[in-house]
Amino acid sequence: MNTKNQYRNRIELLQGTLDMLILRALQWGPQHGYGIVQSLRTQSGDVLQVETGSLYPALHRLERQGWVRSDWKLTESKQRARYYRITPSGKKQLAFDLSRWERIVAAIGAIMHGSPEGGEA
Amino acid sequence: MRLRWPFVSSHRKQELQEEIEAHLQMSVADHVAAGESEDFARQSSLREFGSVPLIQDVAYETWGWTRLDHFSHDFRYAIRQLRRSPGFALSAISTLALGIGACVAIFSVAEAVLLRPLPYPKYQRIVRIWEQAPDGHRINVADPNFDDFRAANTTFSNMAEYNWATTSILGGNEPIRANVAAVSRGFFPTLRVQPFLGRGFIPQEQHFGASPAAVVSFGYWKQHLGSAEDLFKLHLTIEGTIYSVVGVMPEGYDFPEKAAVWIPRELEPELTSRTAHNYHAIGRIRDGVTVAQARANLDTIARRIRARYGSNVDLSDAAVVPLSEAMVGNVRPALLTLLGAVGLLLLVACTNVAGLLVARTSARRKELALRSALGSSRRRLAQQLLVEGLVLSFSAGGLGLLLGAVGIRLLPATLPANLPRQQGIAVNFSVLLFSLVLTALVAVSLGLFAALRAGGNDLLGSLTASARSHTGTQAGQRLRRGLVSIEIAITLVTLMGAGLLARSFLQLVSTSPGFSQKDLMVVQFSLPTTPQTGGPGSASVTRQVHEIDTLLDRLRAIPGIANLGLTGALPVAGGDDLSDGIFIILDGHKPPTNFDEFGRMIENHSPTGEALYAIADQGYFQTLGIPLLHGRMFGEADGPNSTNVALISQTLARERWPHQSPIGQILEFGNMDGNLNPITVVGVVGDVRAQGLNAPPSPVIYVDYRQRGMDLNSSPSILLRATLPASSIIPAARSAFHQEVPNAPVAFSTFADEMGGWMADRRFLLFLVGSFAVITLIIAAVGIYGVVAYFVSRRTQEIGIRMAIGADRGDVLRLVLKEGVQMTALGILTGLFVSIFAARFLKSMLFGISAYDPMTFCAVSGLLFLVALTASYFPARRAMLVDPMTALRYE
Repeated sequence: MNTKNQYRNRIELLQGTLDMLILRALQWGPQHGYGIVQSLRTQSGDVLQVETGSLYPALHRLERQGWVRSDWKLTESKQRARYYRITPSGKKQLAFDLSRWERIVAAIGAIMHGSPEGGEA
Repeated sequence: MRLRWPFVSSHRKQELQEEIEAHLQMSVADHVAAGESEDFARQSSLREFGSVPLIQDVAYETWGWTRLDHFSHDFRYAIRQLRRSPGFALSAISTLALGIGACVAIFSVAEAVLLRPLPYPKYQRIVRIWEQAPDGHRINVADPNFDDFRAANTTFSNMAEYNWATTSILGGNEPIRANVAAVSRGFFPTLRVQPFLGRGFIPQEQHFGASPAAVVSFGYWKQHLGSAEDLFKLHLTIEGTIYSVVGVMPEGYDFPEKAAVWIPRELEPELTSRTAHNYHAIGRIRDGVTVAQARANLDTIARRIRARYGSNVDLSDAAVVPLSEAMVGNVRPALLTLLGAVGLLLLVACTNVAGLLVARTSARRKELALRSALGSSRRRLAQQLLVEGLVLSFSAGGLGLLLGAVGIRLLPATLPANLPRQQGIAVNFSVLLFSLVLTALVAVSLGLFAALRAGGNDLLGSLTASARSHTGTQAGQRLRRGLVSIEIAITLVTLMGAGLLARSFLQLVSTSPGFSQKDLMVVQFSLPTTPQTGGPGSASVTRQVHEIDTLLDRLRAIPGIANLGLTGALPVAGGDDLSDGIFIILDGHKPPTNFDEFGRMIENHSPTGEALYAIADQGYFQTLGIPLLHGRMFGEADGPNSTNVALISQTLARERWPHQSPIGQILEFGNMDGNLNPITVVGVVGDVRAQGLNAPPSPVIYVDYRQRGMDLNSSPSILLRATLPASSIIPAARSAFHQEVPNAPVAFSTFADEMGGWMADRRFLLFLVGSFAVITLIIAAVGIYGVVAYFVSRRTQEIGIRMAIGADRGDVLRLVLKEGVQMTALGILTGLFVSIFAARFLKSMLFGISAYDPMTFCAVSGLLFLVALTASYFPARRAMLVDPMTALRYE
C-alpha cells in the first residue's frame, strides 16, 4: 500500500506542477517553448529538466483552457518562433495552483518533519 | 502515419512542425555556442527533445477539433482491440445479437399488429360501438337501439352495423366455406373504401325484399371467379339465395376479417327486440370531435333508451373505442408480455456483456494507465471506451437484425390463426428504425458504463500493480458479482412468467371438457338449404332433416365408424359459435304467438333464465359420452309434428330449478331460432365446458335437430368416434358427402386438431415466452460461470496456499461454490421480490392458478439455483484439482 501511495504522490505533483511552472515562467513576459525550458532549468539551479514531450502537450492544453495565448514572432536571432503569453484567467489559475501547492508542501512538510510513523517512506 | 490524423487541419500540423523546428534550432545554436560541433549539437538537441512523432500525437490530442480524428482513430483501434481478443468479442457480440434479434422479431409482430395504421383514410376516426351493460360489459347492438344511435347522434358522420357467418358459397369454381358479412347502409362509407372493380351497394339494393347483390373480396375474385372483368355474368348462391356480384373490393382490404363476400344487411328484416344483440357496429366520428365526446353523445342516447324501457333493455351506456384498438383488444396483453420477455432477455444480455467489459477493463488497466500517463485526458479515454462499446453494439445490432429477419420468416408457422393483421409482419422502415434506436441505446449504455468504470479507475495504481495482483480488481469483481445478481433476478422474472404460463397451459390441457376427446373426429360442413326461419313441421326443416338423415345413415354404414352424432356448433373448440339468450319459463301460461308478445312477456316479469342454445341429435350424446342423468333422451318418437323436446345441462338444472325437477317444464326459447313452438324439458344431461376449457360448465338447452332444424346461425358438425385410422375413413366419408349433398363444402379433422387451434394462441405465447426464458437462463448461466471462473483464476495462488497449509478439496470446493451461491441467492431474492409485482400483469392470461402460485415460485427458484450451482461447479472443480506447488508459483 505504501508503495502505491508514494508513486501516486510523485506523479500527481508533477502533473499539476508542470502547468503551474509554465504559467509562472510566463509571468515574466511572453516566451517560446525553448525559452520556457531554459528559464525553468536556470531558475531551478539546473535541477528541473522539463521534458519537451510533456511541455508542448501542456502548452497546447493551457492554450485550450484559455490560460495562455500564442503568437508567432521573431527571436533576437531572427528565428521565427511561437511565443506564449499568460492571460488574465491564466494568472488566476496560477494563484490558485500556487496556493494549492503551498498547502501540499506544508502538509507534506508536517508529515516529513512531524510524527515518525508517517516518515517511513 | 500521414493518415493517422486526417481531420487535424494541415495548418495546425504545419505550425507544430515549425514550432518543434524552431525549438531544435535554438537548442542547436545554444549547444554550438557552448562549443560543440554542428553535427554533435544537432544530435544532442534531438536526444534532449525526445520522440517527435509522439509529441505530435499527444499535442494533436489536446486540440479541440480533433474529435473526428479521434473517432476514426478510436474506431480502428477498437476493431484492432476486439480482433486481439476474439473470445471476448465473439461472446459479447453473439449475446447482444441474440437479445437484439429477439427484440426485433417480436417488435415486428407488435408493429404490424398493434402500431401500424389501419389502411383506411383518417382511420383514427373510425370506432367500434357497443351497448354497455350496467356492469360495464360490452354487448353487440340490437337493431332498434342502433337505429336510435344512428338517428339521434350529432357526432358521427357515418354509422353502420354488420355481422358475419361462416357458410357455404356456391357459384365460384368450387363450393367453399367462408365468411359472408352482412353489412348495413353506411358500412363502406364509414371505412371510406371503394370497390376496386364495379361498385358498392346502392340504396335500391339496401332494403327488405330488394334483389340480392354481393360484393366479393379480391382474394375470392381471383381464386374462385377467375379474375373475371365482366361482373354482371357472375352469380353466387349463399344459403339458397342467388346474389349478383356488383363489385370487387381492393387487394388487402380485410374487414371484417377473412370475409370473402359482403351482402346488404337490409335483406334480412329488422328485428324489433331491443335485447337481440345481433350486430357489431362501427362509426366514423366527425372531424374535430374526440372519441370521448362521441362516446358522451351516445351515452346520452343510451340513457334515454334506458329511461324509457327500463330493465327491458340491457344497455345503460354506450362504449366507443377506436377500431385500431378494438381489433387487437385481446392480443394486446399477449404481445406486451412477449415484448416484456424479449426486453428482459436483452437486459440480461446487456448485463452479461457489461460484466465482460468489467473483466476486460480490469485486464486492460495497464494499457489505459499508460495512455493516461502519456497525457490522454480522462475524457479521451472515456471516448475510446465509448467507441469500443459502439463498435461492439453495432456489430451485434447488424447481426441481431439479421437474426430478427430470420425469426420473422419462421414466425408465421407458429403464429395463432386468430392474431389479427399478421399478414403485415415484415422488416420495414419502422422495424429498421427500431433496431437502430435499440442498438444505439445498447451502445451508449454499454459505452458509458465502460467509460465510467475506467474513469473511476485508480490508473496509476494499476500501472504499478502486477497483472495478476489483487489490488484494484476487487472492486471490479464486486461489480461483476452485482451484475450477475441482477442478471439472475431478471432471469427469475422471465422464468416465472414462463412458469406461470406453462402451469396454466397444463391446467388447461388437463381440464376435462366433460367428455373424452380420444379418437374423436370432426366433420364440418354446410348445407345449401338452410331454412331461414323454422316453424312447426315446416317443409324446409323436413327437407333438411331428410337430407341430413340420409347422409348420417350413409356415414354410419362406413366400416370403422362406431358412433356419430350431429351438432349445430362444435363444443369447446367452437365455443364462440354457440349463442346464449334468455328463455321464458311458461309455468302454465300460453306460449306467445309472435315476438311482440314474447317481448311483452319478458317485460311483464315472467320467470326467465339464461342458457346457451344448442342443436343436437341423440347420437351426439352417445358419441361424446355425455351421460343422461335424469329423464329420457331424444327418441324416434320426437318427430317434426310432435311436442318439441329439450335436454338441459346439469348446471342449468341446478341453477334454475335447485329444489324441484326441471323435467316437464315448458320453455319458450324461440328468440334463438325464430320458432315460437315451445319446448318441453324431458331430461338432464351431464355438463360440458361448451364455451372453452377456461370457462366453467355452461348452462345449455339442447333441442332436437329433427324438430327445429339447423338455423342460419349454426355451424353444422358431425362428431364421430372411429375404430379405424382416419385415413381409411375419410375417403369413404367424403364420397358419401359427394353423392348425397354434392354442393356442400366439407372439412375433416380430429377433435384434438380443433382443440389445438383453440389453444393456438396460448401455445404460441407459452412457446415464445418459454424459449426466451431458456435463452435468458443460458445467458445468465454463462454470466455466473464467467464470474466464478474469474474468481478462481484470480485466487489460484490463495487456493494453493490454503491447500498447502492443509485445506482439503472439499474446503476449496466450498470456497468457490460460496462465491456462486452468494450471487445467486441475492439474485433470486431480488427476483422473487420483483416477480410479486410483475406477476400481476400476467393475471389475465393465467388459468387455474394464482399469479402468485407458490409451486411455480418454488420450482423456478429451485431450477435457477440448480443451474447457478452447475455453472459454478465447473470452475470449482478446476480449483479443486489445483496442484498446490504450481499454484504457489502462479503469478
